Amino acid sequence: MMLGIVLVVFLLLQITPGDPVRQVVGLRATEEQLDEVREEMGLDDPVLVQYGRYVGQLVQGDLGYSYKSKQPVTSLIGDRMVVTAWLLTAGILLTLLISIPAAIAAALYRGRTADQVIRVGGLLGLSMPAFWVGVMLLLVVALPTGWFPPGGFGETFGERLQSIFLPALTLAIGSSPFIIRSLRASLISVLNSDYVATGRAIGGSRRRLIRRFVLRNAAVSSVTVLALEIGFLLFGAVVIETTFALPGLGQGLVLAARGRDLPAIQGYTLLFAVIVVAVYLLSDIAQAMLDPRVEIES
Amino acid sequence: MTASGYLDSTSEPDSPDPSLDSGAIPIDERSLWRRVPMKAKIGGAIVLLYVLVALFAPVIATHDPIEIDPVTRLASPTAEHILGTDELGRDIFSRIIYATRVDLPLGFLGAFLPALLGVALGAMAGYFGGWVDSVVMRVSDVVQAFPSYILIIALVFALGQGATSIIFAFTILGWVAYARLVRSEVLRVRGLDYVHAARVAGLSRFRILRVHVFPNVVSQALVYLPSDIVFATLALAAFSFLGLGIPPPTPEWGAIIAEGQPFIRTHWWFAAVPGFVIVGLGLGMSLVGESAEEALER
Repeated sequence: MMLGIVLVVFLLLQITPGDPVRQVVGLRATEEQLDEVREEMGLDDPVLVQYGRYVGQLVQGDLGYSYKSKQPVTSLIGDRMVVTAWLLTAGILLTLLISIPAAIAAALYRGRTADQVIRVGGLLGLSMPAFWVGVMLLLVVALPTGWFPPGGFGETFGERLQSIFLPALTLAIGSSPFIIRSLRASLISVLNSDYVATGRAIGGSRRRLIRRFVLRNAAVSSVTVLALEIGFLLFGAVVIETTFALPGLGQGLVLAARGRDLPAIQGYTLLFAVIVVAVYLLSDIAQAMLDPRVEIES
Repeated sequence: MTASGYLDSTSEPDSPDPSLDSGAIPIDERSLWRRVPMKAKIGGAIVLLYVLVALFAPVIATHDPIEIDPVTRLASPTAEHILGTDELGRDIFSRIIYATRVDLPLGFLGAFLPALLGVALGAMAGYFGGWVDSVVMRVSDVVQAFPSYILIIALVFALGQGATSIIFAFTILGWVAYARLVRSEVLRVRGLDYVHAARVAGLSRFRILRVHVFPNVVSQALVYLPSDIVFATLALAAFSFLGLGIPPPTPEWGAIIAEGQPFIRTHWWFAAVPGFVIVGLGLGMSLVGESAEEALER
């Protein structure tokens, strides 16, 4: 699987028009200088040799050098990872804070007003572009109150919390509808299940039943859905980091793409792919821990 | 009527039970219209409105959307410029109207082409099985492991900015869900008696696939088209917002929001209004999509 991803990322270089050497040495270089650098970068070797070298470097944790800053791509990524980790963690926490109560309310009062309101809210959340939600939050919350900085990432813990809240809320507004929708469906099937009916029949209190059976199932299915949406969340991070000028991985990717910095783009893309695969794996494990019916096959 | 006479009359093949064969019901257009749920009508009306705006953009717009006017830069709304002008003195209202001609067709294509490719590949994989199936499924595994929106950024970078690249990237990365859905449906339908009967009757495999299998599975896939149009439109707007989508000066909703963001303190409508326009289209499409999904479940 990972090899397929590496191949695709490598092929990006091959299909990109334009001469990467020209980009590195600048427009005024002579033909000899171009050839020299081309040989130095190994770009005159056969494609297969280049691929072998690329994979070899990756295995050693080497993502190549940025065309722009001439620094190793790995050093560009380091600091940015912290910001994105903050954004995703806070975003996921807020998503759960919004969607679990909303889904429980929608499932318990299904078909009634609460359910309808939550459903329409979900449709709205799905239809709003994240970058626009971000701009609107800046407009109606950050600017009038002055509680939140209009962009950037703070230095101290408190400042960081302040600067990450609106971006995380933006992320949560976009991802909650997915969680609410699937969580509501799975809660309804739990509420209709025989074991909840049995529990009710032997006199279990409603509150206890919800805590004991319904919430546990809710946790399992929201973990799964969130994990499946990780690609969506990462794209959300790309857009939201750009909106709020947060120096995270997503903003790094956008800046690399705007600056036509191919090694950096490859590095970020590969990193995002690794995150997705890792999250899928972790969610399988988490699911097995939360739900004794699931067994991990080797 | 005696009991035996009653039984006789129902067992006669000449009077089929109308509930078994919907083709036998005389179609009353008025009752058909009444059976369309309210939200499908509202959603359809909204979408129709956008289509009309796109068609009649030159009539509705008050100015040339890309004409620069250095004298009236960043004007506030007036009778002449309903939503004011942007940094280059272009009429914001006219740009939003003309953007409908970019976002609406591209959002549709960005959902329709992946669906087309996915349905075709899924149907072939499911029906022919064997190596066709393994190739399609293996490729879809790799594509699915990727955070697809992020790979779209990399692909659009490699292919060169513009509408064609975006649609191409959407298509080669967005077909997987459709392929899987249709494949599993084809596997189900393939085992049904009427397909066996067609095979025994000597029809070619391609003809069976086209005439007998395909029409029965395609509706399963098509119900997801409206919500995918919403996603494609939002993604297109997001790429343009990031400066990686439709290149300027073409008016595009996401790009207009990006142009307006620096001025939210003084010209809040600049970034706000295009967002409401996107949300309106998203809501209309979502209503249509929801009704389609519910109609299929029934």
